[in-house]
Amino acid sequence: MDVNDKTLKALTTALNFREMRQELISSNVANANTPGFKAKKMDFEEALARALDVDGQMKMGVTDERHHNVGNGGFNNLEPEIYDNPNGVVSENGNTVDVEAEMAQMAENKLMYDALVQLINKKMGIMKYAINSEK
Amino acid sequence: MAIKDIGSFQQTLGNADAKGWSRKVDNDMASGFDIKAPGLEGGEIQDGKSFGEFLQDSIGKVNNLQQDANMAMEKLASGESQNLHETLLAVEKADIAFRTMNQVRTKVLDAYREIMKMQI
Amino acid sequence: MDLLSSLRISSSGLAAQRKRMEAHSSNIANAQTTRTAEGGPYRRKEVVFGSEPAREAFSEILEGELAENAQTVHATEVVHSDKVVYKHDPSHPDANSEGYVAMPDINPMVEMANMIEAQRAYESNVTAINTTKQMAMKTLEIGRGN
Repeated sequence: MDVNDKTLKALTTALNFREMRQELISSNVANANTPGFKAKKMDFEEALARALDVDGQMKMGVTDERHHNVGNGGFNNLEPEIYDNPNGVVSENGNTVDVEAEMAQMAENKLMYDALVQLINKKMGIMKYAINSEK
Repeated sequence: MAIKDIGSFQQTLGNADAKGWSRKVDNDMASGFDIKAPGLEGGEIQDGKSFGEFLQDSIGKVNNLQQDANMAMEKLASGESQNLHETLLAVEKADIAFRTMNQVRTKVLDAYREIMKMQI
Repeated sequence: MDLLSSLRISSSGLAAQRKRMEAHSSNIANAQTTRTAEGGPYRRKEVVFGSEPAREAFSEILEGELAENAQTVHATEVVHSDKVVYKHDPSHPDANSEGYVAMPDINPMVEMANMIEAQRAYESNVTAINTTKQMAMKTLEIGRGN
């Protein structure tokens, strides 16, 4: 368990993406009455899952740091997919924002964000604990 | 004893031939005090687990718990799993297991030092 | 940083909805106004919203993905309606020769509906701001304790 470990990178990458998602949702909410505005959606889960290749990892438990992690494809190049929300309800001025849906999305995003922060803290905590007890 | 992670701890134990050492200690102890330890019967040493093996097994289990926790976290981050409570539980289990193992490690080291201090 | 940008976007939403509130409450208040500084009855006001990219062109290069997708909103113009309704009221001081008074074309129901909508939209932007703020505070907790 070192500071470069894959799980930590996954957690921080997810954190970044959720921040972006919050911005997008804020944008949708602010433009809920703007004529012609199309609500936007953002997907990052697939890209992240592919980079992680979680199930593949179980078959190659790393016991030596010289071994490669399967699926540790660069986290730096991950791009989310941003597109018009296909489930938008079109109102008479061309606006497709569903404010209630956006609020629900926002709540879920916030919850997951908090969870990720907590998990990162747990990981950091364990590392610090291990460091402190070196004799 | 610089221990970087669980894997190297296992290695260190193996290298120090802790198996042989701890088995010898077990043998001496048991024959000296007639103490029945798990896996031993009637004061005789049978091929049960020695303390060193037991330790290595436990470390393996801790490692597995860590791997499980890591997997759970990655699945949560990538949205594959929506199970917040299961993830947190897995992380907590691994956390406790690691801290326990660390305590055990400390105790083993202390015991080792105690023994080394003994004048023969 | 994305969260700072989110705050800006949400506050633009607040400002826009407030302008909308102002327009419609002005309409309600002036539903009976027959004399204005420009002459003639009060003209109904309505705000038109427009959106524009939240990020400036320069930072687009740095921030890539969200570039044009996150938009701030502005009340781009206030539209004055030219419609006028004629009410028959010969006793009114502003009645014309046939006894008709030119009144603003304001339906209080419509104005109220708009105001309620504006208020709901305002509240949802406030929720967005609070959520963004909480996320930022949570981020500060990383590494705290332990």
